[in-house]
Amino acid sequence: MQHQADKTLNKKTPFFKKPGMAYQNFTAFLKWAPPGVWASICLMGAGQLVYGQIVKGIAFLSCLAASAWYFITMGIKDLAGIFTLGTRQEDLWLGIPGDNSMTMLILGVFAWGVLVLTVVLWYANVRDAVFSARRVQQGKKPRSFRQTLRAMADDKFHITSLSLPVVTVTVLSIVPIVFMILIAFTNLGGDIVYPKLAGWSLDAWQKLVGVSKLGGTFQKIITWNVTWAVSTTLINFIFGLSLALLLNKKNVRYSKFWRAFPILAYAIPGFISMLGYRFMFSQSGPINSLLTDAGKDSIFFLTNDASAKWWARGIGLFVNAWIATPSIMLMASGILSNISADLYEASTLDGASSLQQFRKITFPFVLFATTPLLISQFVGNFNNFGIFFFMRNNVISNYGDYFLASDTDLLINWLYNLSVDNNYYSVGAAISLVIFAITSTLSLAVYMRSAAYKQEDRYQ
Amino acid sequence: MSGSAVIKKRKKRLTFRRAIDNTLTYTALVFISVFFLFPCLWLVLASFSKSGSLYDTRGFFPSAYSFQTFVDLFTDDVNGLYPYGRWFSNTLYVASMSCVLGTVLVILTGYVMSRFRFKGRDSIKQITLVLGMFPGFMGMAAIYIIMAQFGLLNRLEALIILYAGTAPLGYLLQKGYFDTIPQTIYEAARIDGANNFLIFRKITLPLAKPMLVYTALTQFTWPWSDVLLPRLLLKNREQWTVAVGLFSMPETHFSRFAAGSMFIAVPIVILFFCLVKNIVNGMTAGAIKG
Repeated sequence: MQHQADKTLNKKTPFFKKPGMAYQNFTAFLKWAPPGVWASICLMGAGQLVYGQIVKGIAFLSCLAASAWYFITMGIKDLAGIFTLGTRQEDLWLGIPGDNSMTMLILGVFAWGVLVLTVVLWYANVRDAVFSARRVQQGKKPRSFRQTLRAMADDKFHITSLSLPVVTVTVLSIVPIVFMILIAFTNLGGDIVYPKLAGWSLDAWQKLVGVSKLGGTFQKIITWNVTWAVSTTLINFIFGLSLALLLNKKNVRYSKFWRAFPILAYAIPGFISMLGYRFMFSQSGPINSLLTDAGKDSIFFLTNDASAKWWARGIGLFVNAWIATPSIMLMASGILSNISADLYEASTLDGASSLQQFRKITFPFVLFATTPLLISQFVGNFNNFGIFFFMRNNVISNYGDYFLASDTDLLINWLYNLSVDNNYYSVGAAISLVIFAITSTLSLAVYMRSAAYKQEDRYQ
Repeated sequence: MSGSAVIKKRKKRLTFRRAIDNTLTYTALVFISVFFLFPCLWLVLASFSKSGSLYDTRGFFPSAYSFQTFVDLFTDDVNGLYPYGRWFSNTLYVASMSCVLGTVLVILTGYVMSRFRFKGRDSIKQITLVLGMFPGFMGMAAIYIIMAQFGLLNRLEALIILYAGTAPLGYLLQKGYFDTIPQTIYEAARIDGANNFLIFRKITLPLAKPMLVYTALTQFTWPWSDVLLPRLLLKNREQWTVAVGLFSMPETHFSRFAAGSMFIAVPIVILFFCLVKNIVNGMTAGAIKG
């Protein structure tokens, strides 16, 4: 009888989709469920105990206990806290400790995460009980502890190995990002930090697009940021590609030796190169001392001064080229060696000049193979935090009309100044969302148009 | 004019052109080599500077040389301002621990995402793609609070957890590599009765050696030279890593900076030169497959 119900599967709404385990709908499933499954539905882990899987049952039960303990002691409060962001302001006179909106927000995100995790675990527990029930119906025994362990190393290898990464990435990456997205829609930061209470608002966005000092800074920075990303990517790409072509030339002997110099620059940790260049271009650095020795005035290369604006920007482009072209060169030469020599031979026979070969063979091939790379380079440069952070020592312009930024800062530097160094959380979070919007649309648009995406199969 | 004379003339023109080509090529090569070598050389020589301050150099090179800075680096911490020895052991601890843990996590993730088809795989792929587009340290303020809640501020373990725990986000490269290993190998092992864990240990890992090396290297160099997270989470000077310490050094301690960066840069440079082949393979594997 039960078997018959199983066979009349409705493929549209399968419940517990697994071969021979689908039920027409939820009510049919409930009707079928034997006591063990019911036990699991009512109490996580009870079903496993009913089927004699003691260790697994206890594991589920203790997860439930931990979760329940968390929610009773603090979780329930946190679940609600995310909506109110605190109701009680600190009162030093009466000695009342106040609510900290920021902590409440992040603990709220965390609590909702734990709730979702508990529900997922509960679902997994019911599924597991159903699995055991099926085995019993088929006349087999439920899996023993040993069999379970073996399954974890085999059929469920993917679950076993992905569970830890999923948890760490959730806690360390997803929760912070969700938290920051939420913060962008509060008025937290600036004057409103503990002990003041924050609330939900669109304040940060109004400030960004408004005509205030903050809005002006935003426009200036975003213009420079786009200019920077385009020019530095182009410079690095052209320079790196020509370097690779040069080293790939037939008449170059000992190319390994020549290649060592760019690789040296690539191998040195970036921050050391950047700090080194900061010293080189500093007020009392060697370049300026040579200039003064020659009887000229020293130049404010990176100093906090209005005249340094274009110097610093130019030096930024230069240093980034010094650091990044070797990696482009390495990748391009890897790609160049993949081009089949037949193509060149055939074209030489047909009388093609080397320039034609470059235009018709080398360049299209390299462009095709490096499009994804070019995109990631662009996005990386758009968010190139290090260059101006290290080289200008995180200065904040005391000239011009910049709000907690300098004239070389990219959006990401500004974001750092605002949210890490100066507690302007909501504005900082709004800027990160802008950066996200720009980089994601760019990479999506360019990637979809690129040949690499359309002809993926042809080159694989 | 006879035929042989024409050929001779053409040959002559060819050798002439080749000579010009060679000169141009080698001039460019020498120029590029100087371009890349000079700043490194400058820094190396500065570490042997006798006076130690940036103000005392005239031109690029120090007027007198000595080993004193290297001795000072480990013996004289200027009243606790620059305890380089402590910083170095901190860095070594953080970098090696996160290298081991991070490599395990990334390799496992890449392998599973490449080889297994399971429910939720596509959503994991999409979520990581989206996460990668957020600016890297967007959540730094949140991370600070989370670490404070767990009581991990001023602890090196916080850094290890962070580096290793977020490493799996960059699994795409490793996945791309595993994609190139033919499925038939796995199927054969399956038929021989090996379970998935055994296949991973006995077949996948040996095959993935170049990728393993590349991953370990990147997982090591990242904490080795990161400034931001340690600057955020470590407040005591004693707890700092070298990168934060070097960042804090002023111009008066220029040769201390130069000497200190030698110990950070030289091991990495040597590693890179030994493994340059693996690195290029690793980079292009990801570049083409995406």
